[in-house]
Amino acid sequence: MNVSRYGEEGIRILFGEKIDLEIHEKVRRYYFFLKSLQLEEITDIIPSFRSCLILFDSKKASYEALTASLREKELLIAHIDVPEPKTYDVTVEYGGESGFDIDFVASYTGLSEDEIIEIHASVTYKVFAVGFLPGFPYLGILDKRLYVPRLETPRLRVPEGSVGLAQLQTGIYPFESPAGWRIIGRTNKKLVDYNKEPYSIFQIGDKVRFIRA
Amino acid sequence: MIEIIHPGIMALVVDGGRYGYREVGIPTSSALDLYALSVLNHLLGNEGNAPAIEVFGEKFSLRFGKDVCCAITGAKVRASLEGRPLQSWMSFNARAGETLTVDEVREGFRYYVGFSGTPVLEKIIGSYTTNLECRFGGYRGRALQKGDSIDFTDVGMVNVERIAEEFIPRMMPPHTLRVVEGPESNYFTDESLEEFLGSKGRTAFTVSTKLNRTGIRLDGKPLAFRTDAEKSIISEGLLPGSIQVPGDGLPIIQLHERTLGGYARPALIAKVDHDLLAHLKPGDSVMFEMIGMEEAERLFDRKIEIVTSIKN
Repeated sequence: MNVSRYGEEGIRILFGEKIDLEIHEKVRRYYFFLKSLQLEEITDIIPSFRSCLILFDSKKASYEALTASLREKELLIAHIDVPEPKTYDVTVEYGGESGFDIDFVASYTGLSEDEIIEIHASVTYKVFAVGFLPGFPYLGILDKRLYVPRLETPRLRVPEGSVGLAQLQTGIYPFESPAGWRIIGRTNKKLVDYNKEPYSIFQIGDKVRFIRA
Repeated sequence: MIEIIHPGIMALVVDGGRYGYREVGIPTSSALDLYALSVLNHLLGNEGNAPAIEVFGEKFSLRFGKDVCCAITGAKVRASLEGRPLQSWMSFNARAGETLTVDEVREGFRYYVGFSGTPVLEKIIGSYTTNLECRFGGYRGRALQKGDSIDFTDVGMVNVERIAEEFIPRMMPPHTLRVVEGPESNYFTDESLEEFLGSKGRTAFTVSTKLNRTGIRLDGKPLAFRTDAEKSIISEGLLPGSIQVPGDGLPIIQLHERTLGGYARPALIAKVDHDLLAHLKPGDSVMFEMIGMEEAERLFDRKIEIVTSIKN
């Protein structure tokens, strides 16, 4: 665990250097540890693949005081309750107009459309992070055979519900939005509900299975 | 009630922002110049960071449907109320039926138009601010258009006040933005970093036309990555003011709309200069100046003290 400062009001806690289930589990445990402390000087926490970024209120605590106080409480990490992840099924219409990049993915990977769909839908993915846009799940780990690079120039708009691939990740665009990932399908599932906490259906650590429509 | 006659180039309802849900990707989407918003609300007698209209572009105009106190802060503008000249950074009382028009933006880019009272709008996730990209919050999740009207409750007239010149920030280019070191400064060659954050003979960047509330892309001499450095990072948490450098070496200053990013961050804009980011416009010249964390903290504390002293 490596603690460093990120600007005047950020604390970056790094748990490793790669995309890895074990490193991510440490991130997740630390995130729930931070939440359990309910410290009023912590405004926001952004957990992701290998780090937790804390935004703190510098009017309520200094960086030194807050990091010292977190260090003192570290013994609790092993004892906190980490919620059981939920599993979600997401039905996807693959290919065609919904998955307009599937031909590119086929030519890049040398797989047929059916093989791509079969591989994509055969894995139970883990939500490594939620962000970029509200409710956008970064899902991993994608089968290596589906590795595709991001677009060099992102598209200005893809439709809501678009399912994309980039490197060893897959994800779902919760809104019509700019997108640099390769789109292979679309789902009708709503990912965000503004009227209901915690607003995103996916939480870090949850599991997602894709089902061919 | 106010009715929009002309929205300028873009007019949006903003406030102090959304907090507490970055963990599921909900960004703050706050006003870009929080100093201007804070002083605006002081002039209007409103509590905290009450919502206001963030505008850029000239010709913004609205009609008052009630007697209300109004003020404009942020960019220095030449405005008029029924032909009577007005300036930014002062409050004025408007009568029902009168029209406010912004005729010219003289210095800076974004200006804030506010009213004493509470707008009749829905708070979403604890805030009135507009998330334009995801179309929620503010006025029906979108920019204001001609004919839109917003009602206000608890409106009042206040004593007209003008902010002293010394408390009005300088927004004229060239801009010098103070920065603190970022987590991936070691991804870049020493020479390149020196030029970027430079000691002497700094290189200037130009604000490109790729600029919106999400980020500001700069043109200029690209930063050079070390030969052994990756051109991207595993996506992770971002805070406003982070400078991200994609593979092409040209910096992007991230504003308030992203919670995660995947590019190397050689530096972050110091908090004291975050408000100035609202006033960078295409073609402006920008230079960076690296400062230590202690100095950054001291400068920001001083800025908070100024706001406190204005309010007292």
